[in-house]
Amino acid sequence: MTDQEIIELIDRSIASEFELDRDAMKPESTLFDELGLDSLDIVDLVIVLESAFKFKIREEEAIRGIRTLGDIHAFVIKKKREMETQG
Amino acid sequence: MHDFVVIGGGVSGLTSALLLAQAGRQVALVEAAGRTAPLLRGFSRHGVRFDTGFHYTGGLAPGEPLDLFFRHMGLSDKISSFPFREDGFDVFRSLREGFEFRIPSGYRALLEKLCDAFPGERAAIEAYLARVRATCEAMPYLNLDQGLDTASAFARVFGPTLQESLDALTDNAMLKALLSVHCLLYGVAPEETSFAQHAGIAGCYCLSARGITGGGPALADAFDARLAALGVEIHRGAEATGISLDAAGSVEGVRLGDGRYLPCSGCVATIHPALLPGLLPEGTFRPAALKRLEGLEETVSAFVLYSASDAPIPSLAGSNLFVFPDAGALRTLGNRPLEDGPLYITAAWREDEPVPRGFIGISPTDAGQAAAWGPSPAGMRPDGYPRFKQETATRMRRHIETSCPELRGTMDHLEASTALSMRDWCHTPHGGLYGAKHRVGQYNPAPSTRVRGLFMAGQAVVSPGVLGAVLSGFLACGTILGHDRLTKELKACR
Repeated sequence: MTDQEIIELIDRSIASEFELDRDAMKPESTLFDELGLDSLDIVDLVIVLESAFKFKIREEEAIRGIRTLGDIHAFVIKKKREMETQG
Repeated sequence: MHDFVVIGGGVSGLTSALLLAQAGRQVALVEAAGRTAPLLRGFSRHGVRFDTGFHYTGGLAPGEPLDLFFRHMGLSDKISSFPFREDGFDVFRSLREGFEFRIPSGYRALLEKLCDAFPGERAAIEAYLARVRATCEAMPYLNLDQGLDTASAFARVFGPTLQESLDALTDNAMLKALLSVHCLLYGVAPEETSFAQHAGIAGCYCLSARGITGGGPALADAFDARLAALGVEIHRGAEATGISLDAAGSVEGVRLGDGRYLPCSGCVATIHPALLPGLLPEGTFRPAALKRLEGLEETVSAFVLYSASDAPIPSLAGSNLFVFPDAGALRTLGNRPLEDGPLYITAAWREDEPVPRGFIGISPTDAGQAAAWGPSPAGMRPDGYPRFKQETATRMRRHIETSCPELRGTMDHLEASTALSMRDWCHTPHGGLYGAKHRVGQYNPAPSTRVRGLFMAGQAVVSPGVLGAVLSGFLACGTILGHDRLTKELKACR
C-alpha cells in the first residue's frame, strides 16, 4: 500500500465508524477537540485500525502520544513499513 | 425520583445499589427474575442445595480484600465464612501421568509444596509466584494503598498471555498445567487469558480459600437485608426494557417491561454489555462502539452435572477436585470430548449437615454444543434435547466413576444443565458460563460509558466470581462517588 492509500483507508474507516464528516477531517485536526472523540473512543479507534489493517496494536506509549489525525496516519504508516521490512 | 436505578440484581448490581445507598443516594434496583441474585441462590433438589454462582472464594480471610469489601458494605455480621482445607483446598489430578497435588493456602506453603513436587523448578516457581503477587498488589482496590492506574487494564488486553508467561519460565508441562488450573474458574484458556487477569484471580486464592456458611443463598439474603435497611427500592420480576435520555443525552429514566417508568439521574447497568445498546435510543453508540460491545467473545460454556447422594461425601468437605486426562487438557478449552477435557467438581450440601451430600461436576464445552435446540424456549424443547442431556449426563457419570474413585456410589440422583440453560437463565447471548471473556486482544467495557449518568458493572468489566463482581461494583461506584472516598472508607475497615 502507498502512504496515500493507507491514509485513505484510515480516514474512510474512522469516518464511517465514528460517523464523522470527511470534509472536517484534516491531518492537523485534533481528535478530542476538533473531531469530538473522547478518551473512551480510543479503545474503539484501536479496534477500528486493527480490523482495517489486520494487525494488532500493542504500542501503549505510541497510542498515548496520539493527538491528531496526522499522528494516526504517521503511526499506521510506520507500523506498516516495519511489518513489510520484517517480512 | 431516584438518584440511581441499578439494572440487574446479581452480585455486581447488589453491590452497586448498596454502595450508592450507603453514600446517601436514593436508589432503586430492578431484577428481571422473581428474586435477587438467582444465579447466586442456585437451586435445591432431593434436599440438596446446589450452588450455581458461588462455590468458594479467595481473599475472604480477615483483613483480605473481599473481607474488607463485605465489612464496608455492612454484610460481615450477616454471613459467616469458613476456611477450606489448609493442606489442600483444591486437589489437582492428572490421570495419564498419575499425578496428584493438593494446593495449600498461603504463598509460602504453596511455594514450598510446589518445590517439593517439582524439585528442579524452584527458580520458575519463585518467579511465577512473585509475579502473581506483584500483579495483585498493583491492582486498585485489591491493594488499597495502590492508586488507580490504567496500566493493569492495558496489561489485560496487551498481554503477555498466561501461556507465554509460563513458557518463558519452564518447560515442565505438568507444572504449567497446575499453575493454569484456575483458568477453569473463569473459563478462558491459558493461551488466551492475560497473565495479569489470571494473576488477579489466582492470586486471591494464594492468600486463602474460604466458603460461606449456607453458600450463595446466605450471601444473597445478607445483601437483601442490608439493602432493605438502607431503603433501597427493589423491583423483583421487573425487566428493564429501556434507558431514556434527555435532550442533552443524559440518563433521565429507566423503563420497565410492565409499563412502569422510574425517573432517575443516573443508572448502573450490570447486564451483559452486548445487551446494553438495545436499551438505549438508536444511534447512542457509534458503529465502532456498537460492534465492539456486540462482538464481545464469551467464555466457554459447560455441561454441568448436579448429583445428590444418599451417603455423605467427606472427600469434598473444604476441598474441590480438578481432574485432567493429562497435562495438556486446557488446550483448546471447550472443544474436546468430555472424557478428554478438564473436569471441576465441587461440593453440594444439605442444610445443617456438616459433610457434603452431593456435588456439582462442571465440564467445559463450546457454547455451540446444544445450539441445535437453540431456538426453542426453556421448558419447551423438542425430544432430542432431553435425550442429549441424558446421554451426556450418563457419559459424565461414567467418566467421574472412572477418574474419581472417591465419588463412586455417590451419584444417586442426577440433574444436568447445558449451554442453553446458561443462555436462558443467566442472560448471556451465547451461553458463555462466565459471560464476556477477558482475553488478550479483547477490549471489555470500562465502568464509564459515553452516556452521561450511565455506568457499567459486572463480570464483563472486571472478572467473574463473587470477588470480581463485588470489585466491579466498587469500581463503578468509585467512578461515581470518587475512588478516594471509597478507598479511604475501606482502609478504615482494616
